Amino acid sequence: MRKAVGILAALLLAVAVFASGCIGGGGPTKIVWASTQLNPPEERAFVLNELIPPFKDEAGIDVEFVPISYSDLATRLEGEEQSGKVTIDVVADLHGGLDYFNAKGWLTDLSDKVKTLQGRTFIESYMNYATDKNGKVFYVPWMSATYVMVVNKEAFKYLPSGLTEQDVIQGTEKWTYDALLAWVKNIYEKTGKKAFGLPAGPKGLLHRFIHGYLYPSFTGYEAKKFDSSEAIDMWNYFKELWKYTNPASTTWDAMADPLLQGEVLIAWDHTARIKNAIVTKPDQFVVVPVPRGPEGRGFIVVLAGLAIPKNAPHPDEAWKLIDYLTKPETQVKVLEKVGFFPTVKEAANAVPEGPLKILVEGVTAQSSTKDALIVMIPNLGEKGGEFSGLYREAFKRIVLQGEDPQKVLGELGPKLHNLFKEKGIPEP
Amino acid sequence: MEVRHIPYLLLLPAIAYLLFFIGYPLIQALYLAFTKNGAFSLETVRRATSDPTFWQALKYTISLAIAIVPIQLILALILALAVNRAFKGKDFTIYALIIPLTISDVAAGLIWYTMLSDYGFMNKLLLNLGLISQPIHFFGYEYRTMEFLAIVIAEVWRATAIVFVIILAGLQMISREYLEAAEVFGAGYWTRLRKIVIPMLKPSIQSALIIRTLFAMQVFGIVWILAGRDIPVLAGEGFYQLMEIKDYGVASIYALTIALLSIILGALYVKFLKAEYLEVRT
Repeated sequence: MRKAVGILAALLLAVAVFASGCIGGGGPTKIVWASTQLNPPEERAFVLNELIPPFKDEAGIDVEFVPISYSDLATRLEGEEQSGKVTIDVVADLHGGLDYFNAKGWLTDLSDKVKTLQGRTFIESYMNYATDKNGKVFYVPWMSATYVMVVNKEAFKYLPSGLTEQDVIQGTEKWTYDALLAWVKNIYEKTGKKAFGLPAGPKGLLHRFIHGYLYPSFTGYEAKKFDSSEAIDMWNYFKELWKYTNPASTTWDAMADPLLQGEVLIAWDHTARIKNAIVTKPDQFVVVPVPRGPEGRGFIVVLAGLAIPKNAPHPDEAWKLIDYLTKPETQVKVLEKVGFFPTVKEAANAVPEGPLKILVEGVTAQSSTKDALIVMIPNLGEKGGEFSGLYREAFKRIVLQGEDPQKVLGELGPKLHNLFKEKGIPEP
Repeated sequence: MEVRHIPYLLLLPAIAYLLFFIGYPLIQALYLAFTKNGAFSLETVRRATSDPTFWQALKYTISLAIAIVPIQLILALILALAVNRAFKGKDFTIYALIIPLTISDVAAGLIWYTMLSDYGFMNKLLLNLGLISQPIHFFGYEYRTMEFLAIVIAEVWRATAIVFVIILAGLQMISREYLEAAEVFGAGYWTRLRKIVIPMLKPSIQSALIIRTLFAMQVFGIVWILAGRDIPVLAGEGFYQLMEIKDYGVASIYALTIALLSIILGALYVKFLKAEYLEVRT
């Protein structure tokens, strides 16, 4: 009896081994997609449950989504490229990271393949970023995000003379930082309300407003003219603006709630962080381009792209995934679910009427202003925190504590320039 | 096995736990704080202490403790004495008093933020009653005194309950016989309170004070919600250095400062508030 059981078990084992071999051999190819984007749990759930399954059904290719941090990705890619044993098929990262990988020679040339993509027009400026100086397309633009202004329609009642609603919504020449100051001053004088709001809390993105919006608009650069005389003018302007900025700003991390509570009528923040206000009360708010300064209309574009590493094990399957992810309908889905903006024009037009349309219109108006001065967040790796910290410190000392801008910038300037020197990156 | 070894064996799991979860992180923190490129260096300490925010954080952490802990102690004592007698609805009152204990500090912070904001409940109430014509501003760098006040209110509301529970437990352990005997000899309420109740409550007061003061050194969530970094505190700055600036060395200095303060304060309490029992004294 015992012997019979033993033989049966051995037989079952043999069958199982044989069967698993058959299934493994004949099943769909599995590709590895390493991404620094869409890593938070709810976004990851969206990728696993809604983004990948339709692709798997359609193309018969299985995808292993590997959420990874930038530093881990860089280490892994370097190791794999040097040993020649590459396991990653598709890399998704921000522009800065991909630019670095390309400079190291780790990415495949996609110039010919991009031309074969049907039914989509990539936004030109994004495509320019994705092309290096030798004309090599090293990634396909995938998702973008930016920071915009939101206006409660109530505020239009108090427009200063010379500025119209259309100026603000379209981002004309007249929509300047001085006009913004005159506007919020007017609201204060008529209603006693400090109507402008900024996310200046500890986890707010105020430093982006300073280095990506005010600095380029007033000095033409993010960091290069940090301690110039133009910068001093800019800080004096900011001090003036702060008089009409809601003081509770220093406790706000995101502007959706203050907008919904009516504590502010005009606010600046990341699109993802104001989305909730627009979705909750779409009739009440408009998303508008940011104002311009003497040097132009500076704003940050966060651009994520998809690339194929050199010697990737499944380049053709990897390309099919990229094709799928940049289709207009896929991009609309990404916008609806996680709030990142499309990189192809067809997708922007395909967004249904409603709150998202309000956001997309504002973002599109901003990126198509004639004086647009697109800036990217510099890729300083682990020094990125220090970089942001310096702008925040300048804000705290100059605007909140009233120190002399010349003195503060003189102290902080060398520290900032040093960060770029240490990393060997030209100052933007 | 010899019997005298058994206590040590029994202690072993606890020691292993302490070594792994407290000893190792502590060494790691010391390493991050006092070395540079593998060699001993005071550079990180200098970097942390040359930032005025460090001293502000120290100052605010201590002043918050000084403002909050005595209020909590007195309030808890009054409440505990009030409910430590038989009356209708006593159980309900006790439950109601300890409800805030079940709310996390972040949630408590959010509740008070909403109540005290420009268009929050408090301001609306005062405006509607005609007591004020402009909302009272509680939040923002310009209103740090009000933010400090808001933190004190929220902390007292949230964490008095823990002191209350400890003191109530202590009160209930005092034998009624002492009090009855004192009453027979003609001692009034105040005399009984001063001569019997408070001395016998000393161990409870000591535990409550130690717990509250040590928690006060780590105060973070409520401050972060109500005042952001307008009012810097040690735990908050440590978190900020770690998460936003990514300066692990300076973050460790903040953590070690909290640890050092806690040890010193704990030692002071144990030394100066030696628990006395009437039984021992007589």
